[in-house]
Amino acid sequence: MKKQFFFLFYAIIVLFALSSFTFNEKSKTISNFKLKSASSNKWVSLSDYKGAKGFIVIFTCNKCPMAKFYSQRLNQMNEKYKKMGVPLVALNSMDTLAYAEESFRRMQQKVKKEQLNFPYLQDKKQNVAKDFNAMNTPQAFVIWKIKGKYIIQYEGAIDNNAGDYGKVKNHFLTDAVDELLQGNEVKVPKSESFGCKILYRGIIDKMK
Amino acid sequence: MKKVIFLFILSFYSFLIKAQYNTMTVPQALYGTTFNLNIHESVKQLVSGNQTITGSINNETFWGPTLFINKGDLVRMNVTNNLNESTTLHWHGMHLPAVMDGGPHQIIPVGTLWQPYWTVMNQAGTYWYHPHLHQMSKSQITKGIGGFIIVKDPQETALNLPRNYGVDDFVVALTSRKYTAANQFVNGTDVYGDYMLTNGTPNAQITLPKQIVRLRILNAEIERGYDLGFSDGRSFQIIANDGGLLNAPVTVSRVKLMVGERIEILVNLSTDLTGNSIDSNSYNSGQSTGFPGGEPLGTSNAFGSLLNNITFPVLHINIGTTTSAPITSAPTTLANNVYWTASNATVTRTIGVTGGGPNPFYFAASNNATAIPFDLNIINQNVVLNTTEQWTITNNQGFGNAFHLHDVEFKIVARNGVASQVGTHESGWKDTFYLPRLESVTFVAKFDDFADNDVNHPYMYHCHFAGHEDSGMMGQFLVTGTMGTDYNLLSTEFSLFPNPASEKLFVNLKDTSIGIYYVTIATITGRIVMMLPQPEWQSGIDISSLEAGVYTFQMIDKQTKSVTTKKFIKK
Repeated sequence: MKKQFFFLFYAIIVLFALSSFTFNEKSKTISNFKLKSASSNKWVSLSDYKGAKGFIVIFTCNKCPMAKFYSQRLNQMNEKYKKMGVPLVALNSMDTLAYAEESFRRMQQKVKKEQLNFPYLQDKKQNVAKDFNAMNTPQAFVIWKIKGKYIIQYEGAIDNNAGDYGKVKNHFLTDAVDELLQGNEVKVPKSESFGCKILYRGIIDKMK
Repeated sequence: MKKVIFLFILSFYSFLIKAQYNTMTVPQALYGTTFNLNIHESVKQLVSGNQTITGSINNETFWGPTLFINKGDLVRMNVTNNLNESTTLHWHGMHLPAVMDGGPHQIIPVGTLWQPYWTVMNQAGTYWYHPHLHQMSKSQITKGIGGFIIVKDPQETALNLPRNYGVDDFVVALTSRKYTAANQFVNGTDVYGDYMLTNGTPNAQITLPKQIVRLRILNAEIERGYDLGFSDGRSFQIIANDGGLLNAPVTVSRVKLMVGERIEILVNLSTDLTGNSIDSNSYNSGQSTGFPGGEPLGTSNAFGSLLNNITFPVLHINIGTTTSAPITSAPTTLANNVYWTASNATVTRTIGVTGGGPNPFYFAASNNATAIPFDLNIINQNVVLNTTEQWTITNNQGFGNAFHLHDVEFKIVARNGVASQVGTHESGWKDTFYLPRLESVTFVAKFDDFADNDVNHPYMYHCHFAGHEDSGMMGQFLVTGTMGTDYNLLSTEFSLFPNPASEKLFVNLKDTSIGIYYVTIATITGRIVMMLPQPEWQSGIDISSLEAGVYTFQMIDKQTKSVTTKKFIKK
C-alpha cells in the first residue's frame, strides 16, 4: 500500500513537472529585436513587418557543416511563407571575436554566393540567441504574434534529414507553420535540434 | 529438393547479411616531417536517415589521418583548431617535452594555429593523438577526433613483417556510440555505445589478403573494454604493445584491450579459403565484475548498452587473394628490449584510486591519503630528471579503470604485488594498462630527457575513461632538472624586426641566454592566432599565414618564465 501511494505521489509530481514544463515552453515570449542584415546592409527589426502573422527564425552560421545543408531549403521556405505573412529571418549569433569565419563580411559573402533571399542578421552581442535560448546551428523557431506579443510556438530541427532533402520524413518546421496558418495548435511544438554548438561569450561550457 | 531450397535460402540470407556491412575506412596516410592537421566539425552517414555531426581531422569525416614518422626525425605539427570550441591535441605515448605534449594546459582556442615540434625518440610502434581538454575530453572524443601515429625505425624495418599500409598492415580503432532520435551521438552520462564504429565505420568489413596480416588495434573507446579474439577461435600473435615491439611474439587466442591501449597482432590467413569470412569479435559476456562493458544487458541506465555482456563482432574479415610478395612466416625474435626492473627503482610512489562518495573517481597522492580531484593549479607529483621510479596504482573501487602515464613508456613489473601475474600480452613497453577493481598494478619508469619546471606545462597521469578523466580522475607531475641561474640578473627585454613584417618576424633578445619558451600571437582585439611552444626563433618566425593588421607578440622566456609583450604590424 505504501508503495502504491508512493508511486501515485511520484506520478503526480512527474505529471506536474511535465505540464508546467510544456506550459512554460509554450508561453515563452520573445522581445522585439533589431539587428543588422548582411543581406541588405540595413538594420532589420521584427516590428518592421507590420502585416506579419509570425516569423520563422533560424539560428545558423557560416561554418557549421550541418547548417550549410539548409541554405536552399530556407530560400524556398521564405519564398513560400513570406507571401502568407510568415517571413523567414536567419540569425548568426556566433562569437565573432572567437570565430573569424563568422564575421559580417563573411556573412555578406555567404548571402551573395548562395543567393539568400531572406535577411541574414548578425546577433553580435548574442542577446537574441540568449532570449530564444538557442543552442545549435541550425536551430529553428516559429514565433507567432498573439495579442501583440511574439510567442514561441515551435522550436527544434528544420526537418529530420539535413543531408538529403528527398529523404525527409518529418517536416517539423513547415508543418508547424502550416498548422498555425490554419489556426490549429502545433502538434509537435518541440523536436531535437542538431548541429554545431553556439558558444556564449564569457560562459564556460562545462560538461556535466 | 528440400536441401536445394534450404541452400538457396541460406545463401540468400548470407547475401543479406553480407549486404549490411560497410567497408572499413582506412585513414589517409601522411608521411614526412611536417604535418598540417585541421581539426573541424564534419558530418557522416552512420545510420540510415539523418547524418551525424562528427569531429575529424583533414579529409576524414570521423577520426583523422595516420601520421607516419621516423625515429630520429624532427617532426613539426601545424595544428589548427577549426572546431566551434577550444580543444587540445595530445600525442599519446610520445616521449617529448611537456610543453609540446598537448595536455589540458595547452588549450588551442578556435581559429588558432598551434605549432609543437619534437625529435622522435620512441621506438617503432603504434601511437595515437586525441583531444585532452579538461572536462571536454569525453565530448570531443565522442565526436570522433583522433588519429594514429605510426613510428618507424631501422630495427623494425629490418624485420620480415607486414608493413604495406592498407594492404597487409591496417590500423583498427575500436569504439561504439549511442544515437539520439535525430541520429546524433549521445553525449551525456552514458558511457557505452550501442553500435560499433571501427575506424568510424558502422558494421565494418574488410577484405584481407590470404597471408599473414598485421593489425594495429587501438581501444579508442569512451569507457568500454574489449576482449578480442576470432570467431573460429584461432590463435594469433601479439608482436607489439603500446611502446613498440615485444622481444618475441606472444601467441594467444584472446586479448583484453582497455581504453587507450594498443596492440599489434599478426593473424595468419594463409590457409583460409579465398571468399571465406571470419569475424574479429569482442567476447564481453561472462567477464568478471568490474570489467567495463561486461555489465548485464540493459539500456535503461548510463551503464546500459546493447553490446554489454555479449559477444559482438568488431570487424568482419573477408579472405581475399594473396598479394605478390606476402609475408609467409613471422619472425621468432623481434627486439632486444632491456626493461627496467623493480631493483632499478630508487624512488617509489603509491597512488590510490579511492572508492565511495558521490564522485569516487579521484586519485589520492598516496594510497592512504585523502583523494583530491584534478586541479589545474596543483602539481601532484614532482619527479627529478633521470630518476627511475616504481609506481604502484591501487584501485580501491568496485569498478575497473584504465591508467595512462604521459611522458615515458614503462614496464609493468607486478600485478597485486606479484610479478607472475603480469600478463604475457602486456610484457612490453606500456603507457596504459587495465587496472581491475580492487587490484593494484606496479610499474617502473625512467623519467629521462625532458625537464621543465614550468607549473603551466606539467605531464599528466589519469584514468583514460574519458568521463572519469573529465570528472577529475587525473593528476599532474613535473620532471625537473637542476637549476642555478640567478633570475634577477637577466633581462627579458626584446625587440621585433622588421616591423612591419610580411613573411618572417625576427626576435632580438637583449640577453640571448634567456631563450624563448613560448610565443603567443594575438590580434589587437585579443583573438589568439598562433601558439608557438619553444619556437626556433633564431631563424625567424613564419607569420606569412596571418592577415594584415596589428598583432601582439607575447613572449615567455625560458629562464624566468615571465611574460613580455610587444606589438608588430603584419603587412
